[in-house]
Amino acid sequence: MRKRKTIKTSIAGLCLLAFITGAAYAQKAPKDKFVFGPLNPIKMPKVERAELPNGIKLFLVEDPEYPTIDLWAMVKAGSVFEPADKAGLASLTGSVLRTGGTQSKTGDQIDKELETLAATVETGIGQTAGNIRVSVLKEDLDKALAILADILTNPAFREDKLNLAKIQQKTMISRRNDDIGSITDREFSGLMYGKDSPYARQTEYATIDAITRQDLVDFYGAYFHPNNTYMAVWGDFKSGDMIAKLKAALGPWKKGKPSTLPWPKVNYEFRSTVNYVEKPDVNQSNIMLGHIGGLMNNPDLPALNIMNQILSFERMFKRIRTDEGLAYSVRGDYGASYIYPGVFSCGAQTKSQSTVYAIDIMLQELKKITEQEVSDEELEKAKDGYLNSYVFNFESKSQIVNRLMSLAYFGYPLDFTEKQKAGVEKVTKADVLRVARKYIQPGKVQILVVGKKEDFDKPLSSLGQVNVIDIAIPAPKK
Amino acid sequence: MLRKKLFFRPAFVPALLVLLSLALGGQSFEGIKKQVKTHVLPNGMKLIVLERHDVPVVSFHVYADVGSANESYGITGISHILEHMAFKGTTTVGTKDFAAESKVLEELDDVYAQMKREESKAAPDQAKVAELKAKFQDLEKKAKDYVVNNEYFDMMMRQGDAGVNAYTSSDATQYINYLPSNRLEFWMAMTSDRFLNPVFREFYKERDVIMEERRLGVETQPTGKLMEDFMAVAFKAHPYHHEVIGHMSDLQSIRRQDVADYFKKFYGPSNLTVAVVGDVKADEAFPLADLYFSRIPSGPKPEPVRTKEPEQWGERRVTVSAKSQPFLFLGYHIPDAKSKDNPALEALANIVGRGRSSRLYQNLVKDKKIAIQASCMSGFPGDKFPNLIVFIAVSAQGKTSAECQAAIEEEIEKIKKESVTEEELTKFKRSTIKGLLGQMKSNTQMAAMLAYADVVLGGYEKVFDQIADYRAITAEDVKRVANQYLVKTNRTIGEIIPEK
Repeated sequence: MRKRKTIKTSIAGLCLLAFITGAAYAQKAPKDKFVFGPLNPIKMPKVERAELPNGIKLFLVEDPEYPTIDLWAMVKAGSVFEPADKAGLASLTGSVLRTGGTQSKTGDQIDKELETLAATVETGIGQTAGNIRVSVLKEDLDKALAILADILTNPAFREDKLNLAKIQQKTMISRRNDDIGSITDREFSGLMYGKDSPYARQTEYATIDAITRQDLVDFYGAYFHPNNTYMAVWGDFKSGDMIAKLKAALGPWKKGKPSTLPWPKVNYEFRSTVNYVEKPDVNQSNIMLGHIGGLMNNPDLPALNIMNQILSFERMFKRIRTDEGLAYSVRGDYGASYIYPGVFSCGAQTKSQSTVYAIDIMLQELKKITEQEVSDEELEKAKDGYLNSYVFNFESKSQIVNRLMSLAYFGYPLDFTEKQKAGVEKVTKADVLRVARKYIQPGKVQILVVGKKEDFDKPLSSLGQVNVIDIAIPAPKK
Repeated sequence: MLRKKLFFRPAFVPALLVLLSLALGGQSFEGIKKQVKTHVLPNGMKLIVLERHDVPVVSFHVYADVGSANESYGITGISHILEHMAFKGTTTVGTKDFAAESKVLEELDDVYAQMKREESKAAPDQAKVAELKAKFQDLEKKAKDYVVNNEYFDMMMRQGDAGVNAYTSSDATQYINYLPSNRLEFWMAMTSDRFLNPVFREFYKERDVIMEERRLGVETQPTGKLMEDFMAVAFKAHPYHHEVIGHMSDLQSIRRQDVADYFKKFYGPSNLTVAVVGDVKADEAFPLADLYFSRIPSGPKPEPVRTKEPEQWGERRVTVSAKSQPFLFLGYHIPDAKSKDNPALEALANIVGRGRSSRLYQNLVKDKKIAIQASCMSGFPGDKFPNLIVFIAVSAQGKTSAECQAAIEEEIEKIKKESVTEEELTKFKRSTIKGLLGQMKSNTQMAAMLAYADVVLGGYEKVFDQIADYRAITAEDVKRVANQYLVKTNRTIGEIIPEK
């Protein structure tokens, strides 16, 4: 193993000069070796937890430095629960909840009122959670909370704003093949989860057209209850006062049926495939290859994280980008998600003429990491990097309280981050090889290339039988 | 090593206007300003330190006052190439044996020059070209044997650097690090070495990486293509004309010596400003800076950019045909960030084009339903020099850019006649304050703001001091700047025309 490198200064003259003049500062010469003193302790902010009578689970952190207050809530809902023939329902519900206004105010009136206050109150529904975000200057808190409560208890889902949101959705469908990167992400996700899976399916003109206002009202009614809600609040307040204010403002939001959230299963069959999307107007291929990944509650996650760092930086980045000059952006890592399996993938964008060459290198590196132990130096670098940057998990109070709230939402232990650190400290070379062998199957990856095949260095068929994916957008019904 | 514009926008700098009077939880903005300490080294390098002891981390921001606007024909993209090369190490970092390595590197450059000379002849000797090419590849391998791959990155990341990166824009090149705060001296050592003893190794391979970056960001992106052509037409003389990434042919031709010359010219200490925000003490940071950075010899401040964009003689228009839906840019020339008209132009851009209650969103998206996005921003592509205020529209399915353009013009005419309302001005003032507060919470963004203000606006204090100018903006000012700048002969129209 190469000896640890330190900076060697060659300016001996300067060192000498500094000695002679005897600077007031204790240190007289530039150093070329460093021994770091202890880091000042991380002062953990106090996270106050409480549950309101209507069931909202609160996480509060006082942060008096600036006169602002922020709130983020997660509500047990998600697009994975929408019917396949109404794909887009969750997203439309989440946005029209806010833009469609309340019984007493239109969404436009709310826009104006909030922007005049420089406040935001936003709602949305993503794949695995509904989201509520509020950001406000301290002095306007009561006004913003009143608006939020009105939205949650009296949403109007006005038809005109549903129609506007549909126009936006359809426009996005019409534009979805304009960008090669989004084609690649979308189609790869389809290969991993199945294109009809709740984790990968697309909105289409037909699914958007099928959605009615009543569908929004019903979807909202099924999931958006205070007892399905986890809420983080941080900023310039006293926790006791904040709990009282939230209790008063959100009290009228009545309990409903708790969501059980039966997350759809992912049934993945490991296989080798080669897939191609024709994009005749580009001179660079977008490549992704991989297979299904896993969950964050896997006890092997610390070792997987270290393996990821070595695979993506030490191996893929250093070889494909630095040594070969083949790509600007290179990655390769085993993805783990909270409640459904993530994706293990490698990706790069390279000129058409080096497409198959780059894929070959990625496949070689995958094989290598499952065949040989990493070096001592690779392991040490990856572990040092993780452990020395651990302090950045506590960089801000908002980051800390948001993480705790998300962990609670997904049913993870609140000391998850601390446990990961303890796990990483113990990772060995043998662990890295063991998890690479257990979780990575270099012989069974699915390869996706989006690009212009006429310009490739070798035909993709040299990698296996090629499945051509048609990305033509199904036309809207007249 | 991303190539992108600053993540904060000068639009937020004016945000301070009402803030002076606004009492902060722990302190006032005047109070923060007073805590900022500066130190200028004898060689001209300036340090700005803001102590923040909440969390034991520290953000470093090195602002080199050089960007693609300093480039000329033949070397477009070189600022960004140099940014990438700054990660390749020094005479001690990134090499196993610098003395031996440097000889091979020189040989390599020599063979490359011979190869290019032969290729550029009217009738190149193909056999000779092939022979030189083989020799070049051989030497490249030989040089590689001396390299410790990405050692700079390794050393920084190993010490926990959570933000090691750099950005090149039209105006500046900025290097950032974010370290546990007990690594202050380590940063001083690593960074001073970077500017004192840089070695531009692995140069030809890195050029290839940058060409891939160009394909990724411009050549495979319809909006990237439009942006490049739009700037090229809007600026016929000033170097905002070309993209930060540079032209492909320049990327293929720039030599290692060009980069060394460029470094020598623009990376002297008098052209560097460093902002440090976090858990460090200024009275420790300054002596350390003296110790480490004073080793860099002083040099003259580079000559300012000579070329100025002349007056525009008529409306300009540029189109890009692409397999894409339509996209529209409308850009009008406006003065630089130091201009007295800048605050009113910021207010105009914000009121017309930012947020759901902005005029463009209200008219194009909500009422006419002809766009899904309509916005406006100033300071495009930079703001150190006279730049553009740009209106952007993404048309709704089945609608056209022409419809969007007509609606934008309608809104512009209204402001030219009636100006904006008091209510809108208040909204602008409050939202910019709030945006600024959000940015100030972050060490990284605070460091970026202090450095930017010091270099571009003429003093870090300007972040706080220009409040008075902004407080004074009236509806009449907005109307005046709208009438002065938003005129057809001063504009460029850029469009993506969908290809069948």
